[in-house]
Amino acid sequence: MSSLAAESLTVKREGATLIDGVSLVLGPRGSVAVIGPNGAGKSTLLRTLAGVDMPTSGHVRLDGQNLAGLASIERAQAIGFLPQAFEPHWDLSVADLLQLGAARATALPADAVAKAKHAFELSGLEARRWSTLSGGERARVLLATVLVVDPPVLIADEPSAALDIRHRLDTIRTLATRGREPLGEGRLSVVVVHDLDLAFRFFERVVLLVAGKVLADAPADQLIHDPRLDEAFGVRFERLKIGGRWMLTPSPNLSP
Amino acid sequence: MRVWLGLVLALLLGLAVAACAGALWASPADLWRALSGDPSMASRLLVEWRLPRVLAAALVGALLGLGGTIYQGVFRNPLAEPYLLGSAGGAAVGATVALLVPLALPQPLLLPVLAFAGAWAATMLVLGIARVAGAVDAAGLLLAGVAVAAILGALRSFLMLALSDETVSLQVVMSWVLGGIQTPSWRGIALLVAITVACLGLSLLFARRLDLLGLGETMATAFGLDTRRVVAEAVLAGSVIVAAAVAFGGLVAFVGLAAPHIARWLVGPLHRPLLPASALVGAIVVTLADAIARAVLPPAEIPLGLVTAIAGGPFFILLLARRLRT
Repeated sequence: MSSLAAESLTVKREGATLIDGVSLVLGPRGSVAVIGPNGAGKSTLLRTLAGVDMPTSGHVRLDGQNLAGLASIERAQAIGFLPQAFEPHWDLSVADLLQLGAARATALPADAVAKAKHAFELSGLEARRWSTLSGGERARVLLATVLVVDPPVLIADEPSAALDIRHRLDTIRTLATRGREPLGEGRLSVVVVHDLDLAFRFFERVVLLVAGKVLADAPADQLIHDPRLDEAFGVRFERLKIGGRWMLTPSPNLSP
Repeated sequence: MRVWLGLVLALLLGLAVAACAGALWASPADLWRALSGDPSMASRLLVEWRLPRVLAAALVGALLGLGGTIYQGVFRNPLAEPYLLGSAGGAAVGATVALLVPLALPQPLLLPVLAFAGAWAATMLVLGIARVAGAVDAAGLLLAGVAVAAILGALRSFLMLALSDETVSLQVVMSWVLGGIQTPSWRGIALLVAITVACLGLSLLFARRLDLLGLGETMATAFGLDTRRVVAEAVLAGSVIVAAAVAFGGLVAFVGLAAPHIARWLVGPLHRPLLPASALVGAIVVTLADAIARAVLPPAEIPLGLVTAIAGGPFFILLLARRLRT
């Protein structure tokens, strides 16, 4: 079970309206990219959908159940949340982190941790401490820690830490497919993606968020042609067909 | 496993050395004779005076190690320490009131209760100031703690001056403020053992939650932890432990800081092994510090709190410097 619904979700912090009456129905299966210019409220929307932050008004429903009324441990098992930045206060080892991630499930197959280690290529890194890991290794460890219990819903704020192109591709693809192509039944993946090409390439559906509101919400292959993209980002995109796939490139003439 | 064996052996060795040390040094043979029931005066002094003192020092050290580990876990900060954050100061104010103000309740009951109330109130105050100021980083927290500790220190001095009319009770408070293990009876030792075991059990209840808290507010919440509630409950438990340590050993600085650090080097940062390891390290440190306090200036005894401060202060400065550099 993995459908997530936002009902007129509004989030205000210190007088500023960060999310303004957003209604969305996500899932029960599929990969959704959330895109938008800086300050659009993408991170706030994801944190609220994940139940990490509470909305000022409106509800988030997980399979029809109000998230605010759900026991936090049930929420933690059903929704995996990957924050934009993660820095543990103690210098935990990879094995420690996986153990903490696995501990939130009440019942877990005996091989879950071993599977996660295998899926995210962490074998041999178990004893390494967080401070000694590279950016790419940290991203994989964090993903494994969140996904070790195989939560029906994954909500991820793309790690903005500088990853090289291969690791960025790997990370985005894993977030979209959760390491399983095609994405399994009853598995939902909602991800903030900063690189538009990666969003349109790896995700089935794209939600365009501007100033706390949903400006457009459509299948990726439709939204890529939508002129509201140009308006939202304040540039004129040229749409080029390369190798049978449409790609966006900002025109040198910056005004739309 | 080797680490645990080493810690236990080190503690036993430390206890043996401390039992020999004092204004009058006993040889290991003297110690052995006393333990096997020798009726001579020297042996009886060892068994009835020195051994309880040595054991009490170890147990107070274990309590300080546990308290320090919980505080560092709650504040997610390796520089947090009951003494620096004002909790011990709060406990001292409570205990001073218990010692100097004639109240209806018997003192043995009043002292731990007021010490606990003081420790808890001071910690919540520091936590509240840090939260209101938005300063949960090392520097902000320590500054709030230092300020609260200074106020509490002044308050305690004022109470001592205003309330004591006889020098005797003032001396009791003084020896206690400077940190010093009172020599308990064997029944007192049994009570202290029970308290220490209970505190270890209590702190282990928080082990997994403190681990999650260490992942940061966001991840801890995402993993299903009610962070505010855990912080409130853990501060309460930490205050109980600090109050117990203060009630039996007075104000002993820096053990609560150093013990978790050393233990983290030995067993890593997960709290389930860290808490008992910190207790063992704290026990070893205070046992040895108390031995030094008894043996260095015979026949006088220097306050235990001075020994730990002289040794622990530089340790703290070292940690602070290393942390500020990174």
